Formats: sequence, C-alpha cells, structure tokens
Amino acid sequence: MIKSIIRKEILSNLLSYKFSIITILSTILILVSILVMYGDYLLALDNHDILRKESGDHSGIIPPTPLGIFAKGLDDNLCRSWELEGVGVEISSEQQKSLNNLFKLFTAPDLLYVIKIILSLCAMLFAFDIICGEKETGTLRQSLSYNLKRPILIIGKWIGGFTSFILPFFIAVLLGTIFVTLSPNVDMNPGNLLKLGLFILSSVIYLAIFFSLGLLISCLTHRSSTSLVISLFVWTILVFLIPNLGNILARQFVRIPTAQQLDLKRKRIMNRALFEMKQIPKTQADFEERLKELEFRTIKEGDQLDEDYRNSINRLVKVSQSITGLSPAPAFTLLATDIMGTGVAEERRLKKAAQDYKDFLVQSYYIDGSLDEESEQPDFHYHRSSVKDILGQGGLSNCLILILLNVLFFTGAYVAFLRYDVR
Amino acid sequence: MLRTIIAKEFLNNILNLRFMIGLVLCLIVTVACIMILAHDFRQQMNDYNARMNIQDEILDNYAVAKQFRTIQMFRPQKPPERFRLLIIGIPGNEALGFFDYNPLPILFPPIDFLFIVTIIMSLLAMLFSYDSIAGERQSGTLRLVISNSISRTKVLFGKFIGSSASLLIPFILALLVGVLYVSVNPAIQWDSSAWAELALLTAASITFITLFYLLGLMVSTFSRYSAISILNCLFLWILLILVIPNICPYISAQFCRIPSIGETNRIDREVEIHSIQAAREHMKEAVKKFRLKYGALFSEYESMGFGGNEYWGLAHDDDKLRKATQQRVEADPEFKAMVDAFREEDHKAHQELLRIREANPIEDDLHRKAASQTTLAKNLACISPFANFVYVARDLTGTGLRSLKYFEQTKYEYERQARSYVDKKIDDAREKDPALEEESFLDVSDRPRFMFKEEGLKGKLGEVLPYWGILVLFNVVFFAAAFSGFMRYDVR
Repeated sequence: MIKSIIRKEILSNLLSYKFSIITILSTILILVSILVMYGDYLLALDNHDILRKESGDHSGIIPPTPLGIFAKGLDDNLCRSWELEGVGVEISSEQQKSLNNLFKLFTAPDLLYVIKIILSLCAMLFAFDIICGEKETGTLRQSLSYNLKRPILIIGKWIGGFTSFILPFFIAVLLGTIFVTLSPNVDMNPGNLLKLGLFILSSVIYLAIFFSLGLLISCLTHRSSTSLVISLFVWTILVFLIPNLGNILARQFVRIPTAQQLDLKRKRIMNRALFEMKQIPKTQADFEERLKELEFRTIKEGDQLDEDYRNSINRLVKVSQSITGLSPAPAFTLLATDIMGTGVAEERRLKKAAQDYKDFLVQSYYIDGSLDEESEQPDFHYHRSSVKDILGQGGLSNCLILILLNVLFFTGAYVAFLRYDVR
Repeated sequence: MLRTIIAKEFLNNILNLRFMIGLVLCLIVTVACIMILAHDFRQQMNDYNARMNIQDEILDNYAVAKQFRTIQMFRPQKPPERFRLLIIGIPGNEALGFFDYNPLPILFPPIDFLFIVTIIMSLLAMLFSYDSIAGERQSGTLRLVISNSISRTKVLFGKFIGSSASLLIPFILALLVGVLYVSVNPAIQWDSSAWAELALLTAASITFITLFYLLGLMVSTFSRYSAISILNCLFLWILLILVIPNICPYISAQFCRIPSIGETNRIDREVEIHSIQAAREHMKEAVKKFRLKYGALFSEYESMGFGGNEYWGLAHDDDKLRKATQQRVEADPEFKAMVDAFREEDHKAHQELLRIREANPIEDDLHRKAASQTTLAKNLACISPFANFVYVARDLTGTGLRSLKYFEQTKYEYERQARSYVDKKIDDAREKDPALEEESFLDVSDRPRFMFKEEGLKGKLGEVLPYWGILVLFNVVFFAAAFSGFMRYDVR
C-alpha cells in the first residue's frame, strides 16, 4: 500500500503547477549560481597566482578552493596574502580587497545560499498543504475510509513528497558538478568530490528538516491558507531571525574589540619597543643581546594579544552556536562551510598554522640560533582540513543537530497526524 | 461607496490571522532588534573611545621625527554610525585589511531595520494582497460587489487604500516603539537632522511596502486561483529580493573587468622608478646651478656629503656629517643661506616626485574601471526594488557605501592636514636642534584632532532621490498593471 501512496504523491506533485514553478526556479538558480561563482573562482585563482609570485619571506598565501564555487564562506579572507610582522600578522597588500564596493552590500549567491534560503522555502511550499490541502478537497477522508493505516499514509506522503522535491535539485547539482569537474581550470580531486558529496548529503538532511516542518504545520492546521501563513513566518524566524539576531546577541555576552582596536594595540606594542630600542646605547658591549631580548619580548607580547583575541572569537562562536541551536540554518551553514574548507574551523586552523610557522621562526632565530638573516627562510605550507579533521572540529555535532531536528519535526508531524480530525 | 470598501477591506484584514502574526512578529523583532542594537551601539562607542585613547597614547609618547612613521600614527578612527541602533553598517567591512577579525558577520549578516522592512514587511504585504482579487472571485463575493452600481476603479482603489492602511499598522506601531526607545534612552543623542532622516526613511519604507502590496495585487488580478497567485507572488519575491541583487555584482564583474593586480603593480613600479629618476635629475641640475653660483662654498658643502643627507641618491644619510654641517651653518650665515636654498631645491624635487605619482594613470584607470563596474552592478540591481530600497535607506542614514566614501574623503583631508602639520613640526624641531635624528621624540601635543561629522541631509538626498524615484515608478507601474488586469478580469 505504501508504494501506491508514494507513487500517487509523486505523480500528483509532478503534474502540479507548484512542482513546475519550483523546479524551474531551483534549476535555474542552481545553474546560474554555479556559473557565476565559477567565474568568481577563476578571478580569485588569477589573483592568487600573481600574489604568490610576489610574496616574500615570512609570508603565506593559500590558493582558493574549487569547493568555494559551491560554498564561498570565508574563502576570500582565507586566500589573502599575509606577512608575519614583529607584532602580529598583517595582510600584505591593500590591492587584495575588491574595488567593487557593491559586493559588500549583498550576499554571495553560492549554492549554500540557494539551499539555505531559497530551497528551504521551496521545501516548505511543497509540504504546507500535504495534509490540510487534502482535507480541504475531501480526498483525505476518502483515503482513510479504506483499510489504510495513518502511519503508512503519512510516511508514504513524506517519502513521495520529498522525493519529488529533491529530484530536480539532484539533477541540477549533478549538471553543475559535471560542468565544474570537466573544466580544465578546476582541480576536483577525489578528496574534493568526497567533500562535495558530504555537502550534498548535509543539504538533503537540511532540506528534509524544512519539509518535515512544513508537514508538521500542515498536520496542525485545517486550512491550507493558514498553514501557508504559519509556514512562511516560521521559515522567516528559523532562516533569518534566529541565526542573525543570535549572532549579535552573542556579541553582547562575549566582549570582543574590533579588528581596528586590536591593530592599534599591536601598534602601541611595536612603537613602545622601538622607543625602548632607542634607549639601549649602541656602544654597550651587550647591545646585540639586549636588542634581541627586547625583540623577543615584543614578539611574545604581540602573540599573547593575538591569542587572547582568537580565544575570544572562539568563545563568541561557541556562545553564538548555543543561542542559535534552535534553528537548523546556523548548524547547516557552519557544517557546510567546514566541509568545503571555507568555514570558521578552517579559518581557525589557518591562523594556528600561521602562528606555528611564526613560533618556529622565532624559536629558530632567537632560541636555537639555527636561522639568521643570511640563511634561507623556510616556506609556509598549508593543507586544508581532511574529512576526518572536519568531523572532529565540530562538524559531527552540527550534523547531529540537523538529524535531531529532522527526527523531532517528523515525529511531531507523525503524532499530530495520528490525532488529526480528517472531517 | 469607496469609504465602505476601504472600511470593509481594513476590517477584514485586521481580523485575519496573518495580521495578528505580522503584528506580533513585527513588534517582537523590532523591540528585540533595537534593544540589542542599542547595547551593541554602546559597546561600539566604548570601542571607539578605547581606540581614540590608544591612538592618543601612541602619539603622545612615541611620535618621532621620521615623517612616514608619525603620519601612520595619525590614521583617523571612524565612530559608529548614529543610526547603528536601527541599521548596522556594511557587514564584513570590518574584516577588510586585517588578518584577525570576527568572521560571524560574514556568515550571518546581522538583522536590523532593513531586514524588518525588506523581508518581513514585503512578505507580509504579498500575503495581504495575493488573494484580494482571485480569493474574492473564488469565494464569490467579487461577483456580488461588482453586481452593485460601483465602478471597478473604486473597488481597486478601495482595496488598495484599506489593505495598505491595515498593512502599515504593524510597521508603524513597531517603529513607534523604536522611536520611543530612542527618545528615552539617555545614551542616544539625536539632533534634528537625524530625526528628519528617520522621517524620510519611514516614508521610503512605506513606498517599498506598498510596492510589494501592489505587486501582489497585480499578480492576483492575473490569476484565477489564490493558490496559483501565492506561488507566483513567492516566485517573484524570491527573484526580486533574494536573487537579482546578489547576482548582479558578480555578473558585472564578468562583463566589466578591472585590471589585474599584476598589471597594476607593474605600472605602479614603473611610475615609482620614473618619479625617483625625475627627482634625481632635478637635484643633479640643482647641483650644476649651485656649483656655478656658489663655487668653492658649494664644493665644501659637497665634500661634507651634502650635509649628511641622501638627497635622492646624491649622497648617503650620515649623522656625523649632519652635525658637522650644522656647526658650519651656525658659524657662517652665507653658508646657511646656501644650504637653505639647496633644501628648497630638495623640496621642489619632492614635489615633482609627488606630482608624477599623483598623475599615475593606472590608479585613475583602475578606479575608473572599478567605478564603472560598480555602476553597472548598481544599475543592473535596480531591476530589483530591494536594491533600490537598500541604496535609499543606507545612504540616507549614513550606513552605506556613500558614507564610506564620505569618510574616506574626510580622512584624506585630515591626513593631508596632518602631513603638513608633521612636516612643519619636524622642520621646526630641526631648526631648534639641527642634530635631530629621525628616531628622536617629536612633541605633537598640539596636533589637529580628527572629528568626524555626518554628511548633510542635502547631499544625501541628492544621492537617494533617483533610487526613490525608481521605487515610486515601480508603484505606478504595478498599480497600472493591476488596474488594467482588473478591468478585464472575469469575475465569474
């Protein structure tokens, strides 16, 4: 019986106006997004090649990841060329920032954005009238007058409805992936393909949450117009309100200076050190030694400042995650960007790698003495996180949040439907 | 009769579930937003004060006679925008140019008044109008209304006025709560121009909200069923609010290319080398002239390594020679006059160098192309009312790109003022102590202070009026389309 219900659900969806409009919208959006972000990736790759040639000693730059085409996240910032300074790390060139200011006003239209905002809405639009719509037309009463159990009906409806919703998404993403993979400028190695697979899997889980939520609302209402209004407002709260308001709210609990203030604090340390340097008489026998000692002390003071700032940022991310835990959108954003290597975890890892590189140079120069100004400086090397790293860095917990919300909403819909008055 | 329709539409809407949900959501979000953002504003003010204190400390204690280093210390600090408790400045802008920054605003752009208008109110407006015609046709009431002696024009006008009035209630109420909070909060001091800007912002928001109401009404007059109408409305809403504005900058970047970093750097280097050569040539000519004019006196100066100054490659910096020259200058007024004249030539060489660098064609070309890329993106995005409203709201309240540009201009002017101040200070200090070293402390306690003043309302209005005009035009077009659709609508 469940097969018949699934088939009926898929067929009725395929023939509906809703299906046509959502399929056209999602397919066009996904393909346009991939094409647009592909062009953006090529520009970033060109800039990286030039900046890498120009970067000197004590500096680092990592190439943009092709996975940024699908989820850009923080990749623009991760791929800037930086230089180790006496105090802190500085971005090498002003030219790295985009001169087109309009990029600052609007969000990058990558696949992550399309899924997180637009497809989540489409998922709810697919599900909002599954139960109450059938009640209004009277077909639900007829279906249940047969020897058909309610659990089978709702499971069949969920499977049939979600399959018909997700199929066009799969086709569009597949087409986009084939285009990106076949492009000679993009290195989609097996590791990247595995990450893309995980990203698509997490997207399916995320979209299933909204489908289940739409179903739950449909089971709690008796008119499709009411269900639609509630669905839209719940979507607004979950996708926009909680993640974005939670982020500012978290900032009220964890006080963090602005990047400008941090920069000024670094400058204060540096200028103080230069001032103290001037006080050391050049004629003194231990001048070199005292100078080195001062430099070492200054570097350590700067490192302490950076460490405090980074710890505060980590605390802020944690508090923000705790506040926004009720909504699937932040968990999905963090999980997806972490999987693609463009997220907060990758950024944290890159900063740690830069700090380790600095510590190594400081150790070699000031303590071991294995390096001096004449010797060749070792280069900075960095590899983005592997899948194993991602799951360890908090990816698993975000994934669990998504699964849990899915189970919760589906259970809610199931229970509500068991008590639903079909008359 | 028009009044009856308006009253009926108004009452019908305010008794509806969507009105209650909209009202509750608007009030909760606005109050939560304003309270959190007001707290955030205080934190930002504290941060700004802390930055100012650190900068003062650096300038008071560590300014030196090396022009480049001291100028760096004068970099002006931007205070938080006065409208920050309603509209947050551009997200992610803080991260630019810094290795350490807060990544969360990039991943989760913060919510503010703009969000309430562009997302909540536009969605609510469409929910109010998607079934005004198609829904009434389905329920049969439209046929009954039209069967009376009332023109379709009046019906449409009545629906528009009644629904818009009921739609604006949640918005106005939420805004009033916000205004009340601003006016009773002692930490927030708004002058008359800020209140005027708020009034204009409210008017622009109403234009934007009615635009989406009319769009929904237009779709409704072209649909037979409200289920189809809502799908079409949401399709258009997604395109206009979520897709077009975000895609336009990327499309313009593909069509209107900016010179690459490599090309810019190559030309920059060429200009730099050329400017140094020009300064060097100027000094060589000056040496020839001075040899003829001063003879042995100048030869003596030459033998002293031009007073221990580098002078664009003529000699090397040398503190010992500088001290010796100073002693000679103090002893002989004629020698002093010659040295001063030679310094004047150095100043001219420096001016020549600056002139060449400022006339660098690549900078102009780069900025011209960047400006045309931004203009193309901005014009493309004008198809979407969302983009037009964002330009109007941000530029009007000093939280947009125009305010960034305005700050850059005032910053540039201050830095120029600071540069001449530092130059004068160094010259004065050198005059007092000719043996002054570049690393010597420079007292800058009487320095000019940077005070950022918001741009006047007149300038802002000039910028926003065209975009506001587009919003009004959208209103007219959608109403005309709804009118034409309704005139030909089959009410059966």
